[in-house]
Amino acid sequence: MGMHIRSTQQSIAARALTGLQGNLNRMGDLQERLSNGKQITKPSDSPTGAVVSMQLRGEIRAQQQFSRNAEDGLGWLGTLDTTLTSSLDQVRRVRDLTLQGMSSGVAGSMEAREAIAVEVDQLREQLVTLANTRYLDRPVFGGTTTSSTAYDGTSSSYTGDDGAVFRTVGDGSKVRVDSGGPQVFGEDETQLFTVLDSIAANLRGEPQALGTDLDRLDTAIGTLQASLADVGARYNRVEQMRQKADDRLLALRTELSDVEDIDLPKTIMDLKLQQTAYEAALAATAKVIQPSLVDFLR
Amino acid sequence: MSAGFSGLNTALTALHAQRRGLEVTGQNIANANTEGYTRQRMDMQAVAGTPVPAIYSTWNGAGAGVSVSDINRLRDGFLESRGRAEHANGANLAEQQNVYVRIETIFAEPSDTALQSQFADFWSGWADVANQPGNMAARTQLIERGAVVADGLRGAYAALSSQWDTQRVQINAHVVEVNTAADAVAQLNQTILTSRSAGLPQNELEDQRDLHLMKLAELIGAVGTYREDGTVDVSVGGSTLVSAGSVRHLEATGATRMVDQATDRVRLRWADNGQPTLVTGGRLAASLDALGDVLPGFAGKLDGIAERLAEVINDQHELGFGLDGTDGRPFFNGSTAATISVAVTSPQELGVAKAAGSLDGSNAEKLAELSKLVDGPDAAYRSMVVSLGVVSQTVSRRADIQARVSEGVDALRSADAGVNLDEEMTNMLTYQRAYEAASRVLNAVDGLLDTLINRTGLVGR
Repeated sequence: MGMHIRSTQQSIAARALTGLQGNLNRMGDLQERLSNGKQITKPSDSPTGAVVSMQLRGEIRAQQQFSRNAEDGLGWLGTLDTTLTSSLDQVRRVRDLTLQGMSSGVAGSMEAREAIAVEVDQLREQLVTLANTRYLDRPVFGGTTTSSTAYDGTSSSYTGDDGAVFRTVGDGSKVRVDSGGPQVFGEDETQLFTVLDSIAANLRGEPQALGTDLDRLDTAIGTLQASLADVGARYNRVEQMRQKADDRLLALRTELSDVEDIDLPKTIMDLKLQQTAYEAALAATAKVIQPSLVDFLR
Repeated sequence: MSAGFSGLNTALTALHAQRRGLEVTGQNIANANTEGYTRQRMDMQAVAGTPVPAIYSTWNGAGAGVSVSDINRLRDGFLESRGRAEHANGANLAEQQNVYVRIETIFAEPSDTALQSQFADFWSGWADVANQPGNMAARTQLIERGAVVADGLRGAYAALSSQWDTQRVQINAHVVEVNTAADAVAQLNQTILTSRSAGLPQNELEDQRDLHLMKLAELIGAVGTYREDGTVDVSVGGSTLVSAGSVRHLEATGATRMVDQATDRVRLRWADNGQPTLVTGGRLAASLDALGDVLPGFAGKLDGIAERLAEVINDQHELGFGLDGTDGRPFFNGSTAATISVAVTSPQELGVAKAAGSLDGSNAEKLAELSKLVDGPDAAYRSMVVSLGVVSQTVSRRADIQARVSEGVDALRSADAGVNLDEEMTNMLTYQRAYEAASRVLNAVDGLLDTLINRTGLVGR
């Protein structure tokens, strides 16, 4: 008798069972992956994959935050932009009126200048309202003040502080999203509202002094225009950063999906193959286990 | 020629022996599916004639039939001890795998809801507050998110702690099992010794004892040594657990809560002399390791993360001013995973501004930026999860490989000691035929005697 490993019904059955169970486990594994769409569901599935996935998730949150910060920044800067544009319109109208008052000269009728002065007063009031424009309840020209206005309604003096509002819109990239009142509307004798006060007063009482007022008004207009250009530039920058954050988000999500998600066609193929293998193993086992000498003895 | 009646006796011994063989076959078939049953084989021996020549009586006939010399238990002792060693390894690794799988479930990473995400929510909460320092909703939400992180840490710690408790209770149960199995082995040793000296069959008793030995191997990595007299000695970590009929018991000592285990490590010791038991294998070794190192290790790492979180957040938060103009307030209370909680009670108290009395958000911004800290709590947590993944994966792979090895040895054991029905059927045929033939011999001898007794001496009648 040659050397051979003895087999028994039990050992064959045990081996067959182990094989079948392995097959079934692999099928269960594949089915689980298919049903939740992930190939990493716990750190031990792939420790490196798991940490990459955690890092990517963190990065995605950060970029989402950048994108949200940028949205908020664009809100501020957009408000600044429209406010400054309409302020400029109003101020230009004041300049026209001032020129009109000057050209009518000292000889001009008192009533006509009074009418111009009244309109200048109204425009001034509108400009103060504009200077107190708020975004999400914060005066956009008031720095970090806790008060609800940047300029006092009656005296038109600056009530904000010299704080600044920044938004982080990218890694290490902070953009100022407000503009300080004094930088936009000027300070001291060239402060817009002081100039407008002076214009209205001089229209009424001292038309010859309007020349100086006009110079100061031009300075104020220059400051406003520079601020508007600055706001426009910042708006573009934030917009670009938001675009960048959104692009990066898309890239990160793709990366995360590459790391975590299953390759659907491949997994389905694998499952099909596994099913075939399982069925074959079942059929073979049924054939092997069934017969014994008992079947053939009379 | 031999004495006339010896032929009858020869046939009779054959009838006895073949019937005994059929009985053994029957026993084998009956136990084809019994766990731990070892197939038995009957050893027969031809009975020789009288070997000592006498003066008046000589023996010149064939042998005097057959006798059953032994019923053998066909088990390979070497395979058995290898099987026990592999099972001890397998049980150890399976328990380790269990421990790590449970820890992985506790942390449930990677996901959109687990601690890592809670951290991320917390950081973006600060960024939201930085965007809208005056917004009470954003501030309240931030405090909630801080509470979620603290809850997450406390929850994970509590889960580790409760797993520790479960494991601790399990140790007690396992120790009882070890003691019971050791008792059974000692008792079986005694019975086997007695029945052996009385010449009674003890094969089934040995099967039972082997089952208990396997259980002891799986539980505590016990090693069995067979003695000449049929008893088996069992040792654990080099110390005797069972010696013939005497048995020593184990008991578990040490902390009953995870917090106490650093000063009062859970150990096994011998009940008789109080000496520590060296447990190097089996499920209990893995359990003791989980209680002494693995679970406290992860709890310690969680503590480190909680401490770092409280430290970095509080340091920065204390620099910020609340809406009420006060600074120097901590955000978190407590500095361990079990005790960390949010200290800030009202949204006004959040240290968001760098100066009193302004709606500045720069301190909140700085707090949000702490998420990028290379040695911050996030990074520490991630590295903990990675190390968990690596260890768990290694253990899991080793357990899988060990399972294969054990299965292989089991298959060999079952192939060696298990019942093969084809073989039994063949044996059955052989014994049956031999029985039939022996009956024929009996008939033939009877015929001869009949001729001799009834038909001789009748010449001329």
